Amino acid sequence: MQKKILSFFALLLLGIFTFTSCNTGQQTGNNSVVTVSLNGWGDQVERQLLQQILNNFEAKHPNIKVKYDVIADQYMDVIKTKLIGGTAADVFYLDASEAPLLINHNVLEPLDSYINSSFDINDFQPQLLNAFRQNGKLYGLPKDFATLALFYNKKAFQAANLSQPPQSWNEFLEMSKQLTLVRKKDGKIEQYGFGVSPELARQGFMIEAYGGKIVNHNDRATFASPNSLEGLKLTVNQYRQDKSSAIPSDVGASSGNEIFGQGKAAMVMEGTWLIPYLKGTFPNITYATAEIPTINDKKGTMAYVVAYVMNQRSKHKPEAWQLISYLTGKEGMQAWASKAFVLPTRRSVAAALNYDTNPLYSPFIAGSAYATTWQAGENLPIITNSFNNQFISAMLGEQALKSAMSKAQETANKEIALSH
Amino acid sequence: MLSRKKLVPSSLRQPRSLTLAGYIFMAPTIVILGVFTILPILFAIFLAFHRVQLLGENVYKFIGWKNFIRETIDDQVWIALKNTAEYVAIVVPTQTILALTLALVLNTQVRGKRWFRIIFFMPTVTSSTVLTLIFMWIYNSNGLLNNFLSSIGLPTYNWLGDPDVALKAIMLMNIWSTAPLFMVIYLAALQDIPESLYEAATIDGASRWDKFIWITLPFLQPVTFFIVVMGIIGTFQLFDQSYIFSRGSGGPDNSTLTVVLLIYQYAFKSLDMGYAAALALSLALVIMIVTLIQRYLFKEESH
Repeated sequence: MQKKILSFFALLLLGIFTFTSCNTGQQTGNNSVVTVSLNGWGDQVERQLLQQILNNFEAKHPNIKVKYDVIADQYMDVIKTKLIGGTAADVFYLDASEAPLLINHNVLEPLDSYINSSFDINDFQPQLLNAFRQNGKLYGLPKDFATLALFYNKKAFQAANLSQPPQSWNEFLEMSKQLTLVRKKDGKIEQYGFGVSPELARQGFMIEAYGGKIVNHNDRATFASPNSLEGLKLTVNQYRQDKSSAIPSDVGASSGNEIFGQGKAAMVMEGTWLIPYLKGTFPNITYATAEIPTINDKKGTMAYVVAYVMNQRSKHKPEAWQLISYLTGKEGMQAWASKAFVLPTRRSVAAALNYDTNPLYSPFIAGSAYATTWQAGENLPIITNSFNNQFISAMLGEQALKSAMSKAQETANKEIALSH
Repeated sequence: MLSRKKLVPSSLRQPRSLTLAGYIFMAPTIVILGVFTILPILFAIFLAFHRVQLLGENVYKFIGWKNFIRETIDDQVWIALKNTAEYVAIVVPTQTILALTLALVLNTQVRGKRWFRIIFFMPTVTSSTVLTLIFMWIYNSNGLLNNFLSSIGLPTYNWLGDPDVALKAIMLMNIWSTAPLFMVIYLAALQDIPESLYEAATIDGASRWDKFIWITLPFLQPVTFFIVVMGIIGTFQLFDQSYIFSRGSGGPDNSTLTVVLLIYQYAFKSLDMGYAAALALSLALVIMIVTLIQRYLFKEESH
């Protein structure tokens, strides 16, 4: 009996060894082709587009294979965990807002030594490059960016006898009121003037409109300063007093995209991503874009920059660089930007695609000149979390804006102090 | 419980080889438990006393009780604890009473009770993620629930966006989905109560209510204890529903922030593993204390 048991276990162990050794044998099989892994986010459409470009890359570099995986949700959590576990991809997308943290922890490979003159780094918009630069070293090459612009529903504008998009914030507030329509039957609002996103990522330029700052030079939150409140007040007052704006969940939408697509708000401030979304999901809506109305006589908007970065622990750095330089090179970027309808970070590509004269895209391009890049140091996640929590409670009227923001700022700074 | 002594007389000592064979048979379980349960627990205790940096260079610095002291001055912890306590205090009694009521109803000779049992049990076998997504449709401002409420003239709410009701919405969903599981346990226990007791009580002139109070409830007491303990542990560990509800943020306005969600945020968003481990240990301690208090109360009652 006992012998049988022992021999069974011996067989089992033998089996395990055989199968596992078989696996490693396969991995070392092909030596000539190097596989570079790539992680990103994106929907089905973006996935297919990038795959096409990657196929082109593979055709040009027969010795490099690209293993492209999309992370469906909670991108940064997954990437950070993979970086810790040593299983992160060789090349991956990185949003500018998360760059300082990863740069400070030395997990990204500086790219300066790889860049040669034929890459033409000066072609990139400098402020977009700076989002990934620290202590003179460049850690990422921006692949594309998005700015916010005003989307307005043409039919709703016609119905309200408005011909022009608003130029100043006062005009914007006035128009929002005119565009807010009350249903006669039960007094419910069926169309709001403006669909607002009460998040720091979207309100950043409101804070800066009157000279406020999200963080100071020590990376501590300062969004409760009187100057910051001046700008944020505009958002809150419109929602509370004018009642001409709506948060997506007020009308049963999950995002600003949806609120506009469903016609529940006549105006939203969104990025270029809304254009393909509307085309795919709400093709019947007629709309146009314009620059964000001026606040305090100054233009402002947000810019969201995404770069390709290289994992410092990558085993195939030269090949990873080949991939990055192709994707952010003139040819690769032009292919990407023209297909994915995103704004290219290279000035030559933007000019080649005539984005600055395309009426739908020109407000976004114009915005890049004065946009606030969505980035605020290493503590941004803490600051954002704290702000978003308290700002919504100010929007809902549970507390005054000033006390809500002071509380949020205090909470954030306390947490930052505790976590260091 | 049967002790081993009854099965094996002490005069017959086991040969060594049998003991060994026993351990070999248990080896898979011991190894799996050891690697995936015991080691992580020990490692969590280790982490809780360290400042841990995992990203980039791995640094473990011993900092004594600092992580635990930090908990006491962290507002988020108190908010999470308050939310979780509120959630436990409402969900556990409600789902227990609901489970008992359903079980009592289905224990009578209702027509089609088998079907009712199956239908009631459905939510329990459905994945909580799917349930949450379905409920988010129902809770949508223009969704089923609000349409229903307004059609019968009741006020409607922004279930997902209003901090005052967001947690209540999760409570409602969870009571609905967990009560049936406990109902099944109650049903099984109800079937164990000897019919003769009820007959004797009927002869003595006891009313239905008397029988319920003096026969059914005392018989169900150990099961109720089990259900309340499981309920408390389950509700203290609320995570997936509030995670999906708030897309991981615990919003709106921290109203759906639970202790486990906070632990997740610290561990995977802030990568502060040491502090997260300390929080997890504290949560385990809280659950243990609550269970002990409850055990004490139940014992008191049975005397």
